[in-house]
Amino acid sequence: MSTAVQEKETILNFLDGNFGNISNIPAIAGLNDKGAGNISEFPFPTKKDEDWRFTDLRSISRNHFVPVTDSGAVQLGDISNHYLPEATNSRLVFVNGEFNSRLSSTADIPENVVVGNMAAFGDHEILKTHLGKYTNYDEDQDVFAALNDANFKDGGFIYVPKETKVEAPIHILNVFTDSEKAYYATPRVLFVGEAYSKATIVEEHVALTQNEYLNVTVNEFKLFEGAHVHHARIQRDSKKANHISRPIAHLDKFAEYHSYTICLGAKLFRNDPRVVQNDEEVDFTIDGLVLIDGDQIADTHSAIDHRHWHAKSHQLHKVVVNDEAHSIFNGKIFVREDSQKIDSFQENRNLLLSVDGTVHTKPQLEIFSDDVLCSHGATIGHLNEDEVFYLHSRGLTKKKARELLVYAFTLESIETMEVESVHKLLLDEVVKYTSRDEEFVAVGKE
Amino acid sequence: MLEIKNLHACVEGEDEQILKGVNLTINKGEIHAIMGPNGSGKSTLAKVVSGHPEYEITEGEILFEGEDVTELDADERAHLGMFLAFQYPIEVPGITNRTLLRESYNTIARENGREELDPIEFDDYLKERLEVIDMKDEFLERSINTGFSGGEKKKNEVFQMAVLNPKLAFMDETDSGLDIDALKIVSDGINKIAGPENAIVLITHYQRLLNYITPDYVHVMMNGKIVKSAGKELALELEDQGYEQLEKQFSVNGEAQ
Repeated sequence: MSTAVQEKETILNFLDGNFGNISNIPAIAGLNDKGAGNISEFPFPTKKDEDWRFTDLRSISRNHFVPVTDSGAVQLGDISNHYLPEATNSRLVFVNGEFNSRLSSTADIPENVVVGNMAAFGDHEILKTHLGKYTNYDEDQDVFAALNDANFKDGGFIYVPKETKVEAPIHILNVFTDSEKAYYATPRVLFVGEAYSKATIVEEHVALTQNEYLNVTVNEFKLFEGAHVHHARIQRDSKKANHISRPIAHLDKFAEYHSYTICLGAKLFRNDPRVVQNDEEVDFTIDGLVLIDGDQIADTHSAIDHRHWHAKSHQLHKVVVNDEAHSIFNGKIFVREDSQKIDSFQENRNLLLSVDGTVHTKPQLEIFSDDVLCSHGATIGHLNEDEVFYLHSRGLTKKKARELLVYAFTLESIETMEVESVHKLLLDEVVKYTSRDEEFVAVGKE
Repeated sequence: MLEIKNLHACVEGEDEQILKGVNLTINKGEIHAIMGPNGSGKSTLAKVVSGHPEYEITEGEILFEGEDVTELDADERAHLGMFLAFQYPIEVPGITNRTLLRESYNTIARENGREELDPIEFDDYLKERLEVIDMKDEFLERSINTGFSGGEKKKNEVFQMAVLNPKLAFMDETDSGLDIDALKIVSDGINKIAGPENAIVLITHYQRLLNYITPDYVHVMMNGKIVKSAGKELALELEDQGYEQLEKQFSVNGEAQ
């Protein structure tokens, strides 16, 4: 009897495309080549892989995705309702991953600052020096980061020089349109903030229709000494979409990076944020808020790497699950041997509104030094019955009481939004999420 | 205003009766005090009257202004003008006093065909009502009972009552845990709210509260029943003699007769 050696599946089993050297910009073409090699080698993850144990990838592996064809020809209609009033002239728009100059505007950007698309700045020294230098996903054989490397021809490029502040928030708006076939897109962002620069970024992914696509994003943020960045990430993909996200931030001395990821859309959202401390005295946040229902899956696998003395890190990951939705949280925190005086906070709070919802949560702390303050916690609970009754006894319907309590649960995360219109948009989204007709079934006592 | 007839109730899903035939009539303009030892069913009575889902009425009825409210949800009872001041007010982080009260006030107004108040009008109204319990404006911005001291929580219950202006309020041990200053403010507030058009039921262990609020009737509850009702002098009697005397008189083998 002969045993056939089963060929491992790669992501190429699920999508069409020609990869390798597709960009005419050397910095990008190099990554294309590397990525093309990797995607044909890296095995597509299965539940046997520790990092994918709980994540159902069938919405990718049972589908077939084609490259985006000429998104410029897509009839978009008016998308101005997605513009932020604070960022009228500091906006980059990408349609199905491709830059759209007509819809973008950077008139409010100071002259010495770059806010544009990579393809237009192919010769820029900063782009050449930094692009692709921070994604260390290869060592994990990450097929999705490799796909982004292999396929991207363009992306958002933001460079804030020394001691410069960009007043207006920079809105990176990724819109996804209807298409006959399920397609894949690979948005990419490089942000470089030089010493003591300051900027606010609003990165948004929004679907114009509820269709199928695969959105694989890679963000690289490099913050030099004392650079400050507020990074809001709003994920409102189609509820049939797959969104795999790899944001990474490298922080030099005194740098502050505060990111807030809000997950509302996508059938499958997998987010692997990483923060790497390159020097002493950094301060950073990777908060998350997840509101899912139906059959949505939202998976956050974060990694925080404290490598030097005096770091302060904050991760509050709040999740609300309704229907049969599934949330996964795996929060790795490393404190290396030579990094003392670390103050690290991690908390994952899950609110289950339904009987059929699922939550997996795993704080994972690996601490190799002794003078460290690491607080971590994970809770899963239903709405508190006593709280519901208290509000109910004051004349509120049970539904209204529950809505208010869910709203209150999310508020802490939403209040961190610096940009007023984003704050408002999220409040509206929470109301939309909570004010469904059906009542939440599950209520429990603390 | 309120008629409770032969009320029997148990914890939902359990057999043991906690209320074993309570009869009580309350008219508007009256203040009643219900006293009794621990476990006599005083708090259960307050919860059952307010519509707490933890309890099941097995027999008897509760009539409010002639309407049987036994089957009504807690919010519907609140719309009719019933109010429970909680023995242990619940902390609700993230929702401010102002948000709850506005939602609550306007819902009750809407249900009764009265005009709702817009945020500005409502603010003025709230500030006026704050005086009832001698609290500052900042109180409105705080999350409901979150991080409040015991006294502040009880004051907040009285404040909610002042704002919602119920016809009938059950106040479940609103005096417990209060220092002398807070007790004066709370009882002062209750006295200000009490009027010819409403009725108040004070549930308490101790006579202490009744030094500041004069009840028209005092009832003693034991073993799930009201065993004795009289005027305010009964409270003083109990203070002197304790409940033992009554217990002997009214129980045989631990069962109320």
